[in-house]
Amino acid sequence: MSVQRRNPQGPPGSAKHFPGKKSPRVLQREAQFKQYKADVQARGKPFYPWAMFHDTVMSLVVVIVIIGLACVWYFTSGENPEDAGWLGPRYAEPADPGTTTFVPRPDWYFYFLFYLLRIFKWPDSVILGTVGIPTLLMIILFALPFLDVRRERRIIRRPVAATALVLTAVSMGVLTYKGAAAEEATAAGEETFDQIMAAQNLPEEARPGLELYFQSGCTGCHTYAGEGSSNLGAPDLTAIGSQQGKDAAYFQRYVANPREFGNEVMPVYQTLGEENLQALAEFLEASKGGG
Amino acid sequence: MAVPVRTKSRRRQQVEQAALYPLDWLEERSGLVGATKYFLFRKVPGDISWGHTLGSATLTAFLVQTITGVILAMYYRPDPDSAYESIQHLTNEVTLGWLVRGMHRWGASVFIILMFFHMARVFLFGAYKYPRELNWIVGALLLILGMFEGFTGYLLPWDQTAYWATIVGVNLQGTGPFVGPFLVNVLNGGAEIGVDTLARFYAIHMLLLPGAIFALIGLHLWLVIRLGVTSQPWSPEAAGAGEPEGPKPAREGLVRQSRGGGSE
Repeated sequence: MSVQRRNPQGPPGSAKHFPGKKSPRVLQREAQFKQYKADVQARGKPFYPWAMFHDTVMSLVVVIVIIGLACVWYFTSGENPEDAGWLGPRYAEPADPGTTTFVPRPDWYFYFLFYLLRIFKWPDSVILGTVGIPTLLMIILFALPFLDVRRERRIIRRPVAATALVLTAVSMGVLTYKGAAAEEATAAGEETFDQIMAAQNLPEEARPGLELYFQSGCTGCHTYAGEGSSNLGAPDLTAIGSQQGKDAAYFQRYVANPREFGNEVMPVYQTLGEENLQALAEFLEASKGGG
Repeated sequence: MAVPVRTKSRRRQQVEQAALYPLDWLEERSGLVGATKYFLFRKVPGDISWGHTLGSATLTAFLVQTITGVILAMYYRPDPDSAYESIQHLTNEVTLGWLVRGMHRWGASVFIILMFFHMARVFLFGAYKYPRELNWIVGALLLILGMFEGFTGYLLPWDQTAYWATIVGVNLQGTGPFVGPFLVNVLNGGAEIGVDTLARFYAIHMLLLPGAIFALIGLHLWLVIRLGVTSQPWSPEAAGAGEPEGPKPAREGLVRQSRGGGSE
Protein backbone atom coordinates (compact mmCIF):
# COMPACT_ATOMS: atom_id res chain seq x y z
CA MET A 1 0.00 0.00 0.00
CA SER A 2 1.83 2.97 -1.24
CA VAL A 3 -0.66 5.44 0.21
CA GLN A 4 0.15 4.39 3.75
CA ARG A 5 3.65 5.38 4.73
CA ARG A 6 4.91 6.19 8.16
CA ASN A 7 4.97 9.73 6.98
CA PRO A 8 2.17 9.98 4.44
CA GLN A 9 3.42 13.37 3.31
CA GLY A 10 6.82 12.09 2.31
CA PRO A 11 10.01 13.73 3.44
CA PRO A 12 10.38 17.44 2.69
CA GLY A 13 11.75 18.04 -0.77
CA SER A 14 10.40 14.76 -2.15
CA ALA A 15 7.69 14.63 -4.76
CA LYS A 16 5.28 13.38 -2.13
CA HIS A 17 5.77 16.31 0.16
CA PHE A 18 2.82 18.64 0.33
CA PRO A 19 2.88 21.44 2.82
CA GLY A 20 -0.77 21.04 3.78
CA LYS A 21 -1.97 18.23 5.98
CA LYS A 22 -4.40 15.60 4.77
CA SER A 23 -7.86 16.23 6.06
CA PRO A 24 -9.20 13.89 8.73
CA ARG A 25 -11.67 12.52 6.23
CA VAL A 26 -8.96 11.57 3.78
CA LEU A 27 -6.88 10.01 6.54
CA GLN A 28 -9.93 8.11 7.74
CA ARG A 29 -10.79 6.64 4.38
CA GLU A 30 -7.20 5.68 3.75
CA ALA A 31 -7.12 3.93 7.09
CA GLN A 32 -10.37 2.16 6.32
CA PHE A 33 -9.11 0.93 3.00
CA LYS A 34 -5.91 -0.28 4.57
CA GLN A 35 -7.98 -2.11 7.16
CA TYR A 36 -10.11 -3.62 4.41
CA LYS A 37 -7.02 -4.89 2.60
CA ALA A 38 -5.65 -6.38 5.81
CA ASP A 39 -8.95 -8.01 6.73
CA VAL A 40 -9.47 -9.56 3.33
CA GLN A 41 -5.89 -10.78 3.27
CA ALA A 42 -6.27 -12.32 6.71
CA ARG A 43 -9.75 -13.76 6.53
CA GLY A 44 -10.90 -13.65 2.93
CA LYS A 45 -11.31 -16.65 0.67
CA PRO A 46 -9.24 -17.42 -2.40
CA PHE A 47 -10.86 -16.37 -5.68
CA TYR A 48 -10.21 -19.85 -7.05
CA PRO A 49 -12.11 -22.09 -6.57
CA TRP A 50 -14.61 -20.39 -4.35
CA ALA A 51 -15.69 -17.21 -6.17
CA MET A 52 -14.81 -18.70 -9.52
CA PHE A 53 -17.36 -21.46 -8.95
CA HIS A 54 -20.15 -18.93 -8.56
CA ASP A 55 -18.91 -16.98 -11.56
CA THR A 56 -18.84 -20.12 -13.68
CA VAL A 57 -22.35 -21.16 -12.71
CA MET A 58 -23.66 -17.68 -13.49
CA SER A 59 -21.80 -17.56 -16.81
CA LEU A 60 -23.26 -20.91 -17.82
CA VAL A 61 -26.73 -19.61 -17.01
CA VAL A 62 -26.04 -16.58 -19.23
CA VAL A 63 -24.89 -18.70 -22.16
CA ILE A 64 -27.87 -21.05 -21.78
CA VAL A 65 -30.30 -18.12 -21.70
CA ILE A 66 -28.73 -16.67 -24.86
CA ILE A 67 -28.93 -20.02 -26.67
CA GLY A 68 -32.51 -20.43 -25.44
CA LEU A 69 -33.53 -17.02 -26.79
CA ALA A 70 -31.86 -17.80 -30.13
CA CYS A 71 -33.75 -21.12 -30.37
CA VAL A 72 -37.14 -19.62 -29.49
CA TRP A 73 -36.52 -16.77 -31.95
CA TYR A 74 -35.55 -19.12 -34.79
CA PHE A 75 -37.96 -22.00 -34.34
CA THR A 76 -41.07 -19.87 -33.91
CA SER A 77 -40.35 -17.72 -36.98
CA GLY A 78 -40.26 -18.46 -40.68
CA GLU A 79 -38.11 -17.54 -43.66
CA ASN A 80 -40.49 -14.80 -44.68
CA PRO A 81 -40.29 -11.44 -42.98
CA GLU A 82 -44.02 -11.72 -42.26
CA ASP A 83 -43.59 -14.94 -40.29
CA ALA A 84 -42.71 -13.28 -37.03
CA GLY A 85 -42.27 -15.65 -34.13
CA TRP A 86 -42.63 -14.98 -30.43
CA LEU A 87 -39.52 -12.85 -30.48
CA GLY A 88 -40.06 -11.09 -33.78
CA PRO A 89 -39.17 -11.87 -37.38
CA ARG A 90 -35.75 -13.06 -38.50
CA TYR A 91 -35.48 -9.87 -40.54
CA ALA A 92 -37.83 -7.24 -41.87
CA GLU A 93 -38.25 -6.47 -45.57
CA PRO A 94 -35.04 -5.38 -47.27
CA ALA A 95 -34.14 -1.74 -46.73
CA ASP A 96 -35.77 0.50 -49.29
CA PRO A 97 -34.92 4.19 -49.16
CA GLY A 98 -37.82 4.79 -51.57
CA THR A 99 -40.58 3.78 -49.17
CA THR A 100 -41.39 6.29 -46.56
CA THR A 101 -44.24 4.48 -44.88
CA PHE A 102 -42.03 2.70 -42.43
CA VAL A 103 -42.29 3.72 -38.79
CA PRO A 104 -38.80 4.07 -37.39
CA ARG A 105 -38.28 2.11 -34.23
CA PRO A 106 -34.97 1.54 -32.46
CA ASP A 107 -33.89 -1.55 -30.56
CA TRP A 108 -35.66 -1.91 -27.21
CA TYR A 109 -32.87 -0.50 -25.07
CA PHE A 110 -33.23 2.84 -26.83
CA TYR A 111 -36.98 2.96 -26.24
CA PHE A 112 -36.56 5.18 -23.20
CA LEU A 113 -34.74 7.80 -25.29
CA PHE A 114 -37.24 7.29 -28.10
CA TYR A 115 -40.12 7.93 -25.77
CA LEU A 116 -38.40 10.81 -24.00
CA LEU A 117 -38.52 12.60 -27.35
CA ARG A 118 -42.29 12.36 -27.47
CA ILE A 119 -42.47 14.59 -24.45
CA PHE A 120 -40.66 17.47 -26.10
CA LYS A 121 -41.96 19.31 -29.11
CA TRP A 122 -40.14 20.57 -32.16
CA PRO A 123 -38.63 23.07 -32.35
CA ASP A 124 -38.91 24.88 -29.03
CA SER A 125 -37.95 22.19 -26.58
CA VAL A 126 -36.82 19.21 -28.63
CA ILE A 127 -33.21 20.05 -27.86
CA LEU A 128 -34.01 19.20 -24.22
CA GLY A 129 -34.93 15.67 -25.23
CA THR A 130 -32.18 15.05 -27.77
CA VAL A 131 -29.34 16.81 -26.00
CA GLY A 132 -30.30 18.45 -22.73
CA ILE A 133 -31.54 15.60 -20.58
CA PRO A 134 -29.19 12.91 -21.97
CA THR A 135 -26.19 15.20 -21.43
CA LEU A 136 -27.28 16.01 -17.90
CA LEU A 137 -27.78 12.33 -17.08
CA MET A 138 -24.40 11.51 -18.59
CA ILE A 139 -22.66 14.15 -16.47
CA ILE A 140 -24.36 12.82 -13.33
CA LEU A 141 -23.39 9.27 -14.29
CA PHE A 142 -19.71 10.09 -14.67
CA ALA A 143 -19.55 12.45 -11.72
CA LEU A 144 -21.38 10.15 -9.33
CA PRO A 145 -18.34 9.02 -7.30
CA PHE A 146 -17.44 12.66 -6.73
CA LEU A 147 -20.96 13.81 -5.92
CA ASP A 148 -21.48 11.09 -3.34
CA VAL A 149 -18.38 11.07 -1.15
CA ARG A 150 -19.85 9.83 2.12
CA ARG A 151 -18.31 6.61 3.38
CA GLU A 152 -21.65 5.01 4.17
CA ARG A 153 -22.38 2.11 1.86
CA ARG A 154 -25.57 0.62 3.33
CA ILE A 155 -28.41 1.62 1.06
CA ILE A 156 -30.93 2.11 3.89
CA ARG A 157 -28.67 4.79 5.32
CA ARG A 158 -28.31 6.52 1.95
CA PRO A 159 -31.78 7.99 1.45
CA VAL A 160 -30.79 10.21 -1.47
CA ALA A 161 -29.03 7.40 -3.31
CA ALA A 162 -31.89 5.00 -2.60
CA THR A 163 -34.43 7.47 -3.92
CA ALA A 164 -32.32 8.16 -7.00
CA LEU A 165 -31.97 4.43 -7.67
CA VAL A 166 -35.69 3.80 -7.40
CA LEU A 167 -36.58 6.86 -9.47
CA THR A 168 -34.08 5.96 -12.19
CA ALA A 169 -35.22 2.34 -12.34
CA VAL A 170 -38.92 3.27 -12.38
CA SER A 171 -38.59 6.06 -14.96
CA MET A 172 -36.39 3.94 -17.24
CA GLY A 173 -38.90 1.09 -16.90
CA VAL A 174 -41.91 3.29 -17.57
CA LEU A 175 -40.27 5.06 -20.53
CA THR A 176 -39.16 1.72 -22.01
CA TYR A 177 -42.62 0.27 -21.58
CA LYS A 178 -44.29 3.33 -23.04
CA GLY A 179 -41.83 3.33 -25.93
CA ALA A 180 -42.69 -0.32 -26.59
CA ALA A 181 -46.41 0.30 -26.36
CA ALA A 182 -46.27 3.58 -28.30
CA GLU A 183 -49.02 3.86 -30.81
CA GLU A 184 -48.00 2.93 -34.31
CA ALA A 185 -49.19 5.13 -37.11
CA THR A 186 -52.71 4.13 -38.00
CA ALA A 187 -53.33 2.73 -41.43
CA ALA A 188 -55.96 5.07 -42.78
CA GLY A 189 -58.62 4.14 -45.32
CA GLU A 190 -61.13 6.08 -47.40
CA GLU A 191 -63.38 6.45 -44.40
CA THR A 192 -60.72 8.15 -42.33
CA PHE A 193 -59.94 10.45 -45.23
CA ASP A 194 -63.59 11.45 -45.57
CA GLN A 195 -63.85 12.12 -41.86
CA ILE A 196 -60.72 14.22 -41.83
CA MET A 197 -61.77 16.12 -44.96
CA ALA A 198 -64.99 17.07 -43.19
CA ALA A 199 -63.55 17.76 -39.76
CA GLN A 200 -60.71 19.85 -41.15
CA ASN A 201 -62.91 21.59 -43.68
CA LEU A 202 -60.41 20.77 -46.44
CA PRO A 203 -61.01 21.73 -50.08
CA GLU A 204 -61.18 18.86 -52.56
CA GLU A 205 -57.77 19.87 -54.03
CA ALA A 206 -56.16 18.92 -50.74
CA ARG A 207 -57.29 15.31 -50.89
CA PRO A 208 -54.34 13.85 -52.88
CA GLY A 209 -52.01 15.52 -50.44
CA LEU A 210 -53.94 14.14 -47.49
CA GLU A 211 -53.72 10.60 -48.83
CA LEU A 212 -50.06 11.04 -49.61
CA TYR A 213 -49.53 12.33 -46.10
CA PHE A 214 -50.94 9.14 -44.63
CA GLN A 215 -49.06 6.92 -47.07
CA SER A 216 -45.64 8.51 -46.76
CA GLY A 217 -44.96 7.77 -43.14
CA CYS A 218 -45.63 11.28 -41.83
CA THR A 219 -47.94 9.76 -39.21
CA GLY A 220 -44.96 7.83 -37.85
CA CYS A 221 -43.98 11.01 -36.05
CA HIS A 222 -46.68 13.66 -36.54
CA THR A 223 -50.20 13.89 -35.24
CA TYR A 224 -52.86 15.12 -37.65
CA ALA A 225 -56.47 15.63 -36.61
CA GLY A 226 -55.95 13.20 -33.75
CA GLU A 227 -54.40 10.52 -35.98
CA GLY A 228 -50.83 9.31 -35.89
CA SER A 229 -48.25 9.58 -33.17
CA SER A 230 -45.96 12.22 -31.75
CA ASN A 231 -42.42 10.91 -31.98
CA LEU A 232 -39.07 12.62 -31.90
CA GLY A 233 -40.58 15.96 -31.01
CA ALA A 234 -42.59 16.22 -34.23
CA PRO A 235 -45.33 18.86 -33.94
CA ASP A 236 -49.06 18.40 -34.44
CA LEU A 237 -49.80 19.46 -38.02
CA THR A 238 -53.55 19.85 -37.68
CA ALA A 239 -53.43 23.63 -37.90
CA ILE A 240 -49.98 24.11 -39.40
CA GLY A 241 -51.40 26.03 -42.37
CA SER A 242 -52.71 28.82 -40.18
CA GLN A 243 -49.25 29.77 -39.00
CA GLN A 244 -47.93 33.10 -40.16
CA GLY A 245 -45.81 33.08 -43.30
CA LYS A 246 -46.16 29.38 -44.04
CA ASP A 247 -47.55 28.81 -47.50
CA ALA A 248 -47.41 25.98 -49.98
CA ALA A 249 -44.02 27.05 -51.35
CA TYR A 250 -42.59 27.05 -47.85
CA PHE A 251 -43.97 23.59 -47.05
CA GLN A 252 -42.68 22.17 -50.29
CA ARG A 253 -39.16 23.37 -49.61
CA TYR A 254 -39.36 22.27 -46.01
CA VAL A 255 -40.51 18.71 -46.66
CA ALA A 256 -38.06 18.29 -49.51
CA ASN A 257 -35.15 19.19 -47.29
CA PRO A 258 -35.77 19.94 -43.61
CA ARG A 259 -32.01 20.53 -43.14
CA GLU A 260 -32.38 23.82 -44.92
CA PHE A 261 -34.51 24.98 -42.02
CA GLY A 262 -32.21 23.68 -39.33
CA ASN A 263 -34.27 20.54 -38.74
CA GLU A 264 -31.79 17.69 -38.39
CA VAL A 265 -34.27 15.09 -37.17
CA MET A 266 -36.90 14.81 -39.89
CA PRO A 267 -35.90 12.65 -42.87
CA VAL A 268 -35.33 14.28 -46.25
CA TYR A 269 -38.29 13.65 -48.56
CA GLN A 270 -36.75 14.86 -51.81
CA THR A 271 -37.29 11.34 -53.17
CA LEU A 272 -41.08 11.84 -53.24
CA GLY A 273 -40.73 13.88 -56.40
CA GLU A 274 -41.82 17.38 -57.36
CA GLU A 275 -45.44 16.52 -58.03
CA ASN A 276 -46.04 14.69 -54.76
CA LEU A 277 -44.28 17.36 -52.77
CA GLN A 278 -46.50 19.96 -54.34
CA ALA A 279 -49.63 18.00 -53.39
CA LEU A 280 -48.39 17.58 -49.84
CA ALA A 281 -47.60 21.27 -49.58
CA GLU A 282 -51.07 22.25 -50.79
CA PHE A 283 -52.61 19.93 -48.25
CA LEU A 284 -50.54 21.37 -45.45
CA GLU A 285 -51.36 24.92 -46.46
CA ALA A 286 -55.05 24.07 -46.40
CA SER A 287 -54.78 22.59 -42.92
CA LYS A 288 -56.08 25.28 -40.64
CA GLY A 289 -57.51 23.18 -37.86
CA GLY A 290 -61.00 23.18 -39.34
CA GLY A 291 -61.75 26.59 -37.87
CA MET B 1 12.36 -48.41 3.05
CA ALA B 2 13.53 -45.21 1.59
CA VAL B 3 15.21 -46.71 -1.44
CA PRO B 4 12.21 -47.64 -3.68
CA VAL B 5 10.41 -44.50 -2.69
CA ARG B 6 13.38 -42.42 -3.56
CA THR B 7 13.76 -44.01 -7.01
CA LYS B 8 10.14 -43.42 -7.69
CA SER B 9 10.28 -39.90 -6.46
CA ARG B 10 13.35 -39.11 -8.47
CA ARG B 11 11.57 -40.31 -11.55
CA ARG B 12 8.54 -38.34 -10.63
CA GLN B 13 10.70 -35.34 -10.09
CA GLN B 14 12.12 -35.71 -13.56
CA VAL B 15 8.68 -36.04 -15.06
CA GLU B 16 7.42 -33.09 -13.14
CA GLN B 17 10.41 -31.05 -14.14
CA ALA B 18 9.88 -31.93 -17.77
CA ALA B 19 6.21 -31.10 -17.52
CA LEU B 20 6.78 -27.85 -15.71
CA TYR B 21 9.70 -26.77 -17.86
CA PRO B 22 7.54 -24.86 -20.36
CA LEU B 23 5.83 -23.07 -17.48
CA ASP B 24 9.16 -22.18 -15.91
CA TRP B 25 10.40 -21.01 -19.27
CA LEU B 26 7.34 -18.82 -19.65
CA GLU B 27 7.52 -17.53 -16.11
CA GLU B 28 11.18 -16.62 -16.39
CA ARG B 29 10.54 -14.55 -19.50
CA SER B 30 7.12 -13.07 -18.89
CA GLY B 31 6.08 -13.48 -15.27
CA LEU B 32 2.70 -14.62 -16.60
CA VAL B 33 2.55 -17.75 -14.46
CA GLY B 34 3.02 -15.74 -11.31
CA ALA B 35 0.44 -13.23 -12.50
CA THR B 36 -2.08 -15.98 -13.18
CA LYS B 37 -1.41 -17.53 -9.78
CA TYR B 38 -1.90 -14.14 -8.17
CA PHE B 39 -5.15 -13.65 -10.07
CA LEU B 40 -6.52 -17.07 -9.11
CA PHE B 41 -5.44 -17.23 -5.49
CA ARG B 42 -5.89 -13.60 -4.47
CA LYS B 43 -8.21 -13.21 -1.52
CA VAL B 44 -11.76 -11.94 -1.88
CA PRO B 45 -14.11 -11.06 0.99
CA GLY B 46 -15.71 -14.14 2.46
CA ASP B 47 -19.24 -12.87 2.11
CA ILE B 48 -19.51 -11.98 -1.54
CA SER B 49 -22.81 -12.98 -3.08
CA TRP B 50 -24.41 -13.97 -6.36
CA GLY B 51 -24.75 -10.24 -6.99
CA HIS B 52 -21.00 -10.18 -7.38
CA THR B 53 -21.18 -12.57 -10.33
CA LEU B 54 -22.93 -10.00 -12.53
CA GLY B 55 -19.63 -8.51 -13.68
CA SER B 56 -18.20 -11.79 -14.88
CA ALA B 57 -21.61 -12.65 -16.37
CA THR B 58 -21.41 -9.45 -18.40
CA LEU B 59 -17.93 -10.41 -19.52
CA THR B 60 -19.23 -13.81 -20.58
CA ALA B 61 -22.00 -12.19 -22.61
CA PHE B 62 -19.39 -9.98 -24.28
CA LEU B 63 -17.22 -12.99 -25.11
CA VAL B 64 -20.26 -14.69 -26.65
CA GLN B 65 -20.68 -11.55 -28.78
CA THR B 66 -17.02 -11.67 -29.79
CA ILE B 67 -17.03 -15.31 -30.84
CA THR B 68 -20.36 -15.22 -32.67
CA GLY B 69 -19.40 -11.87 -34.17
CA VAL B 70 -16.21 -13.27 -35.68
CA ILE B 71 -18.18 -16.13 -37.26
CA LEU B 72 -20.81 -13.71 -38.56
CA ALA B 73 -18.07 -11.59 -40.13
CA MET B 74 -17.05 -14.62 -42.21
CA TYR B 75 -20.43 -14.67 -43.93
CA TYR B 76 -21.60 -11.08 -43.83
CA ARG B 77 -21.04 -8.73 -46.77
CA PRO B 78 -21.15 -5.06 -45.77
CA ASP B 79 -22.53 -3.54 -48.93
CA PRO B 80 -26.13 -2.47 -49.47
CA ASP B 81 -26.60 -4.70 -52.51
CA SER B 82 -25.71 -7.94 -50.79
CA ALA B 83 -25.92 -7.37 -47.03
CA TYR B 84 -29.57 -8.42 -46.71
CA GLU B 85 -29.02 -11.43 -48.94
CA SER B 86 -25.99 -12.56 -46.95
CA ILE B 87 -28.00 -12.32 -43.72
CA GLN B 88 -30.81 -14.38 -45.25
CA HIS B 89 -28.35 -16.95 -46.54
CA LEU B 90 -26.63 -17.19 -43.18
CA THR B 91 -29.87 -17.51 -41.24
CA ASN B 92 -31.65 -20.00 -43.45
CA GLU B 93 -29.00 -22.04 -45.22
CA VAL B 94 -25.64 -22.11 -43.46
CA THR B 95 -25.35 -24.97 -40.97
CA LEU B 96 -26.12 -23.57 -37.52
CA GLY B 97 -25.93 -20.10 -39.01
CA TRP B 98 -29.25 -19.32 -37.37
CA LEU B 99 -27.78 -20.22 -33.99
CA VAL B 100 -24.76 -17.97 -34.42
CA ARG B 101 -26.85 -15.04 -35.60
CA GLY B 102 -29.56 -15.67 -33.02
CA MET B 103 -27.00 -15.78 -30.23
CA HIS B 104 -25.38 -12.58 -31.48
CA ARG B 105 -28.71 -10.82 -31.76
CA TRP B 106 -30.11 -11.88 -28.42
CA GLY B 107 -26.72 -11.88 -26.73
CA ALA B 108 -26.65 -8.14 -27.44
CA SER B 109 -29.79 -7.62 -25.39
CA VAL B 110 -28.51 -9.88 -22.61
CA PHE B 111 -25.22 -7.96 -22.61
CA ILE B 112 -27.00 -4.61 -22.24
CA ILE B 113 -29.32 -5.92 -19.51
CA LEU B 114 -26.40 -7.42 -17.58
CA MET B 115 -24.45 -4.15 -17.82
CA PHE B 116 -27.38 -2.32 -16.25
CA PHE B 117 -27.83 -4.99 -13.54
CA HIS B 118 -24.13 -4.93 -12.79
CA MET B 119 -24.22 -1.16 -12.54
CA ALA B 120 -27.29 -1.27 -10.29
CA ARG B 121 -25.53 -3.74 -7.98
CA VAL B 122 -22.44 -1.53 -7.81
CA PHE B 123 -24.63 1.45 -7.03
CA LEU B 124 -26.64 -0.45 -4.42
CA PHE B 125 -23.48 -1.59 -2.66
CA GLY B 126 -21.86 1.84 -2.87
CA ALA B 127 -18.96 0.10 -4.56
CA TYR B 128 -18.12 3.20 -6.60
CA LYS B 129 -16.83 5.03 -3.53
CA TYR B 130 -13.19 5.65 -2.63
CA PRO B 131 -10.92 4.22 -3.90
CA ARG B 132 -12.95 2.78 -6.77
CA GLU B 133 -14.12 6.03 -8.41
CA LEU B 134 -12.04 5.48 -11.51
CA ASN B 135 -13.46 2.03 -12.04
CA TRP B 136 -16.99 3.44 -11.99
CA ILE B 137 -15.99 5.86 -14.74
CA VAL B 138 -14.45 3.07 -16.79
CA GLY B 139 -17.66 1.09 -16.29
CA ALA B 140 -19.81 4.03 -17.38
CA LEU B 141 -17.67 4.36 -20.53
CA LEU B 142 -18.15 0.65 -21.19
CA LEU B 143 -21.91 1.08 -20.86
CA ILE B 144 -21.94 3.87 -23.43
CA LEU B 145 -19.65 2.00 -25.83
CA GLY B 146 -21.85 -1.06 -25.40
CA MET B 147 -24.94 0.92 -26.33
CA PHE B 148 -23.10 2.26 -29.38
CA GLU B 149 -22.32 -1.34 -30.33
CA GLY B 150 -26.05 -1.95 -30.22
CA PHE B 151 -26.74 1.12 -32.32
CA THR B 152 -24.17 0.36 -35.01
CA GLY B 153 -25.01 -3.34 -35.12
CA TYR B 154 -28.69 -2.63 -35.61
CA LEU B 155 -28.11 -1.27 -39.13
CA LEU B 156 -26.10 -4.21 -40.43
CA PRO B 157 -28.96 -6.57 -41.51
CA TRP B 158 -29.93 -3.71 -43.85
CA ASP B 159 -33.66 -4.34 -43.54
CA GLN B 160 -36.41 -1.75 -43.15
CA THR B 161 -36.28 -1.75 -39.35
CA ALA B 162 -32.53 -1.27 -39.41
CA TYR B 163 -32.55 1.39 -42.09
CA TRP B 164 -35.22 3.68 -40.70
CA ALA B 165 -34.20 3.33 -37.07
CA THR B 166 -30.68 4.31 -38.05
CA ILE B 167 -31.81 7.31 -40.07
CA VAL B 168 -33.66 8.62 -37.06
CA GLY B 169 -30.82 7.72 -34.69
CA VAL B 170 -28.20 9.48 -36.79
CA ASN B 171 -30.44 12.50 -37.31
CA LEU B 172 -30.90 12.76 -33.56
CA GLN B 173 -27.17 12.89 -33.06
CA GLY B 174 -27.15 15.72 -35.56
CA THR B 175 -29.04 17.91 -33.12
CA GLY B 176 -26.09 17.84 -30.72
CA PRO B 177 -24.38 21.19 -30.22
CA PHE B 178 -21.16 21.88 -32.16
CA VAL B 179 -20.13 18.29 -32.88
CA GLY B 180 -23.60 17.06 -33.91
CA PRO B 181 -23.49 17.76 -37.66
CA PHE B 182 -19.85 16.68 -37.77
CA LEU B 183 -20.75 13.37 -36.12
CA VAL B 184 -23.50 12.81 -38.67
CA ASN B 185 -21.04 13.31 -41.50
CA VAL B 186 -18.56 10.89 -39.96
CA LEU B 187 -21.19 8.21 -39.33
CA ASN B 188 -22.94 8.50 -42.66
CA GLY B 189 -19.88 9.08 -44.78
CA GLY B 190 -21.82 11.99 -46.24
CA ALA B 191 -24.94 13.96 -45.60
CA GLU B 192 -27.31 11.02 -46.02
CA ILE B 193 -27.28 7.29 -45.28
CA GLY B 194 -25.88 5.46 -48.28
CA VAL B 195 -23.34 3.02 -49.59
CA ASP B 196 -20.53 4.33 -47.40
CA THR B 197 -22.66 4.33 -44.26
CA LEU B 198 -22.96 0.55 -44.05
CA ALA B 199 -19.22 0.01 -44.42
CA ARG B 200 -18.54 2.63 -41.78
CA PHE B 201 -21.00 1.19 -39.32
CA TYR B 202 -19.52 -2.25 -39.96
CA ALA B 203 -15.96 -1.07 -39.31
CA ILE B 204 -17.01 0.83 -36.19
CA HIS B 205 -19.08 -2.11 -34.98
CA MET B 206 -16.48 -4.82 -35.40
CA LEU B 207 -13.13 -3.05 -35.14
CA LEU B 208 -13.22 0.29 -33.38
CA LEU B 209 -15.74 -0.31 -30.60
CA PRO B 210 -14.76 -3.91 -29.71
CA GLY B 211 -11.12 -2.84 -29.55
CA ALA B 212 -11.96 0.01 -27.20
CA ILE B 213 -14.24 -2.22 -25.15
CA PHE B 214 -11.57 -4.90 -24.80
CA ALA B 215 -9.02 -2.34 -23.66
CA LEU B 216 -11.42 -0.84 -21.13
CA ILE B 217 -12.44 -4.27 -19.84
CA GLY B 218 -8.75 -4.96 -19.27
CA LEU B 219 -8.42 -1.75 -17.29
CA HIS B 220 -11.68 -2.49 -15.45
CA LEU B 221 -10.45 -5.93 -14.36
CA TRP B 222 -7.01 -4.66 -13.47
CA LEU B 223 -8.57 -2.10 -11.14
CA VAL B 224 -10.78 -4.78 -9.57
CA ILE B 225 -7.74 -6.95 -8.92
CA ARG B 226 -5.64 -4.06 -7.64
CA LEU B 227 -8.26 -2.57 -5.33
CA GLY B 228 -9.99 -5.78 -4.34
CA VAL B 229 -13.60 -6.89 -4.48
CA THR B 230 -15.96 -4.90 -2.25
CA SER B 231 -17.70 -6.87 0.42
CA GLN B 232 -21.37 -6.45 1.16
CA PRO B 233 -22.13 -3.08 2.75
CA TRP B 234 -23.81 -4.72 5.73
CA SER B 235 -20.88 -7.02 6.28
CA PRO B 236 -19.70 -6.77 9.89
CA GLU B 237 -16.02 -6.70 9.02
CA ALA B 238 -13.98 -3.60 8.34
CA ALA B 239 -13.84 -4.96 4.85
CA GLY B 240 -17.46 -4.00 4.51
CA ALA B 241 -18.70 -2.29 7.65
CA GLY B 242 -19.81 1.25 7.06
CA GLU B 243 -17.85 3.39 9.49
CA PRO B 244 -15.87 1.60 12.09
CA GLU B 245 -15.04 4.23 14.65
CA GLY B 246 -12.43 3.98 17.32
CA PRO B 247 -10.87 0.64 18.10
CA LYS B 248 -12.66 -2.23 16.50
CA PRO B 249 -14.68 -4.50 18.78
CA ALA B 250 -12.97 -7.76 19.55
CA ARG B 251 -13.96 -10.32 17.01
CA GLU B 252 -15.70 -13.45 18.13
CA GLY B 253 -13.31 -15.84 16.48
CA LEU B 254 -11.46 -14.84 13.39
CA VAL B 255 -13.47 -17.07 11.10
CA ARG B 256 -16.95 -15.81 10.62
CA GLN B 257 -19.46 -18.51 11.35
CA SER B 258 -23.01 -18.85 10.07
CA ARG B 259 -22.78 -17.43 6.53
CA GLY B 260 -19.73 -19.44 5.62
CA GLY B 261 -20.60 -19.77 1.97
CA GLY B 262 -21.98 -16.30 1.71
CA SER B 263 -23.72 -17.46 -1.39
CA GLU B 264 -26.99 -15.75 -0.64
